Amino acid sequence: MAAAASSTFPAPCHHLPQLHQNHTKSLSSLFKPKSRTTNFSIRPLSISPKASLSDPFVLQIAETLEDSNSSSSLKQSPILQKLRESSSESILSLSWPTRKDEPFRFTDTSFIKNSQISSISPDPESTLIDFESDGDDDTQTPNIVIVDGQIVSSLSKLDELPDNVYVGSVLGIDSDEIREKVMKFVSNFEDKDLFWSLNGIGAPDVTIVFVPSDCFVEKPLLFRFYSHETSEIGSSNLPMSNPRVLVLVEKGGEVGIVEEYLGGAEDKCYWVNSVMEVLIGEGGKVSHTYVQQQAPSAAHFKWTSVRQESSSTYKLVEVSSGGKLSRHNLQIQQVGPDTITELSTFHICVRDQTQDLHSKLILDHPRGVAEQRHKCIAAHPRSQVVFDGNIKVNRLAQQTDAAQLSRTLLLEDSATVNMMPNLQIIANDVSCSHGATVCDVDDDQLFYLLTRGIDLATARKSLIFAFGTEVMSRLPCDSLQKKVERHIQRLLDPTPS
Amino acid sequence: MASLANFSTISSSSAAHLSSIRNSSSNSFLLTKSSPNSIKLLSTPRQCFNHRRLVLKAKANSVIDAPTTSSIDGVSDSPKVLLEVKDLTAKIADSGSQILKGVNLVIYEGEIHAIMGKNGSGKSTFSKVLVGHPDYEVTGGTVVFKGENLLDMEPEERSLAGLFMSFQSPVEIPGVSNNDFLRMAYNARRKKLDLPELGPLEFYDYISRRLKIVNMDTNFLNRNVNEGFSGGEKKRNEILQLAVLGADLAILDEIDSGLDVDALQDVGEAVNELLTPQKSVLMVTHYQRLLDIIKPKFVHIMEDGKIVKTALMALRVNPQWHPD
Repeated sequence: MAAAASSTFPAPCHHLPQLHQNHTKSLSSLFKPKSRTTNFSIRPLSISPKASLSDPFVLQIAETLEDSNSSSSLKQSPILQKLRESSSESILSLSWPTRKDEPFRFTDTSFIKNSQISSISPDPESTLIDFESDGDDDTQTPNIVIVDGQIVSSLSKLDELPDNVYVGSVLGIDSDEIREKVMKFVSNFEDKDLFWSLNGIGAPDVTIVFVPSDCFVEKPLLFRFYSHETSEIGSSNLPMSNPRVLVLVEKGGEVGIVEEYLGGAEDKCYWVNSVMEVLIGEGGKVSHTYVQQQAPSAAHFKWTSVRQESSSTYKLVEVSSGGKLSRHNLQIQQVGPDTITELSTFHICVRDQTQDLHSKLILDHPRGVAEQRHKCIAAHPRSQVVFDGNIKVNRLAQQTDAAQLSRTLLLEDSATVNMMPNLQIIANDVSCSHGATVCDVDDDQLFYLLTRGIDLATARKSLIFAFGTEVMSRLPCDSLQKKVERHIQRLLDPTPS
Repeated sequence: MASLANFSTISSSSAAHLSSIRNSSSNSFLLTKSSPNSIKLLSTPRQCFNHRRLVLKAKANSVIDAPTTSSIDGVSDSPKVLLEVKDLTAKIADSGSQILKGVNLVIYEGEIHAIMGKNGSGKSTFSKVLVGHPDYEVTGGTVVFKGENLLDMEPEERSLAGLFMSFQSPVEIPGVSNNDFLRMAYNARRKKLDLPELGPLEFYDYISRRLKIVNMDTNFLNRNVNEGFSGGEKKRNEILQLAVLGADLAILDEIDSGLDVDALQDVGEAVNELLTPQKSVLMVTHYQRLLDIIKPKFVHIMEDGKIVKTALMALRVNPQWHPD
């Protein structure tokens, strides 16, 4: 992993932490303006040279995002600088996706393109906003509230974490060791796409989760993401926020991460473009939960990029129901043998909305175990479901045991489902299976319930709900599971008896 | 009459039954043929039936001579027809192949009937048609259940009207817990009776008591409906549903298939436990051994979509009717 990192970012990795250290520790504030000036110069440098070759819409967003970040004098750190620099570089060659681009063949992003994207000015006062928790009892869990991409410390509770675990802003890291590692790994990802890079430019902060060797974090870390700056429905303005989280789990470390994206008001428009990078050291374990319940008119883009070293375990449970357009790009790269990867995702469309999962699992080492199950419900005539699930079993990934199953419940004739499950297997000694189904509620199950006197509507409803419970039952704690189940039940049946 | 002739077929297992009949001083049934293949019982001594030994304990003071005399158990003395099937024909909806070719059957309150026959004779189809399985299309005949046209009813209405079928191979329903399923079904019953629905806790009380009948522990409730159940557990679960929902007529479609002797005994006894003098059972089976536990009053032999023979009481079925 180290080799890969240094080849991607050779010089700045070692150079910049040094700088940062000087600023924060020994030099007076006199030097800060200077460093800020240096940073400012990056923007024109990075964007202007090849501007004529680039997509003007993309450049416009990038500039808007850069402007908002450079105006915040406090947010200067070599790590953020590196992130923005590399993101700005890559953005020059990227254009806004169209239906002709394979990754967006079935996903219509024109609704974003037709909007005026605005950035969100960092607002330290947003701490005062009352983001009331939804009555659930999560006081026990360490939690982090992130509003428009920024941690709101007054609403976050992190006091129960073990020593040496760091959770917080990239600016608050007080250990050189952690800072160096973060520097090395931030945005350490080769398959950057436009949205990944836009996040890199626009992220006001990077929230870091650092779990040292052999450290077991007992309680899952709950991240709650809110969008404060929004626009009214019908307005052409679309405020964009770019939360970013980097999870570093060292050898033998273990942590649970719960991401909850909460929409709040029904009538708000916004775009969340979130990125999470996860690096799991040898034998480490990460249990990742991702719950997406954005407002019905929101756009939600999400990147999850995971690197798994040998014998590590990564488990994901996702339940996505919100947003007008929701896209999850999930990429897992195996960088050592004997890894375990378990992906369980559940998407549901109950409105005129799109739910899209593009997952890619790349196995390059022997004896990996991978299990992916994706379930989807298209319950509205204009719902669109997209699944592109790619598992690559490369030459060296012998004795891989991989299984992929995607099942979609298509409840309306005019709903659209696009399934592209694909396994690319080069290794010759593997056991791989995959399957995909698209169907309505099972007739035999339905009849069974009817013969017990349950009316058709109730029977269908319970079978539809049951379809998702296979995934929802894997949610890590009971309270979260109940909460998510209630939410799904409300979506399926807005007027409960 | 062919059916009565079977009385003379005495076997070791039926000997006891017959002797108990003989011991009854007035074990009088009047059987007439209302249609070529069905037997109509004009008067039965049902009020004397002990629910554990429904058939065998008919006692003297009942009642062909005095059909209007008051009943011992307080049950109305005039026998009520529960189910009347006339010339029922049905085909498979998809392929159009005719399976039922004119079934006639009358079941009175409190009676236990068994249908036997070879594979493919139409026994299971008959059961499924009665509960309204969408794979089959009724092409002729009538079915009246408790005075109403059963064929006009949706499957759920048939259930609420008091008809229950235990499935030969109950389907697995991942994601629906047994408890939620049973509560849904039970509350549908209560709703029909204008009773308030039971919340999870109240229902738990109710169900716990019912579980004992089928000899199951409460873990059973947390599991998903039939998911990963063994053959025996599935059948027990069917009987648990019968216990929870109750039924005037329970159709047990090969409740004995795939069960070992002990499990069969358990399931059979659970059914017996649930029987009351008003409740009727229609068993579909290949095997005598079930009839030794749940003792039918009539045994019908089905062949090529028709009931070709009906025998009263505990006969030993000819070996040729054993399909296997």
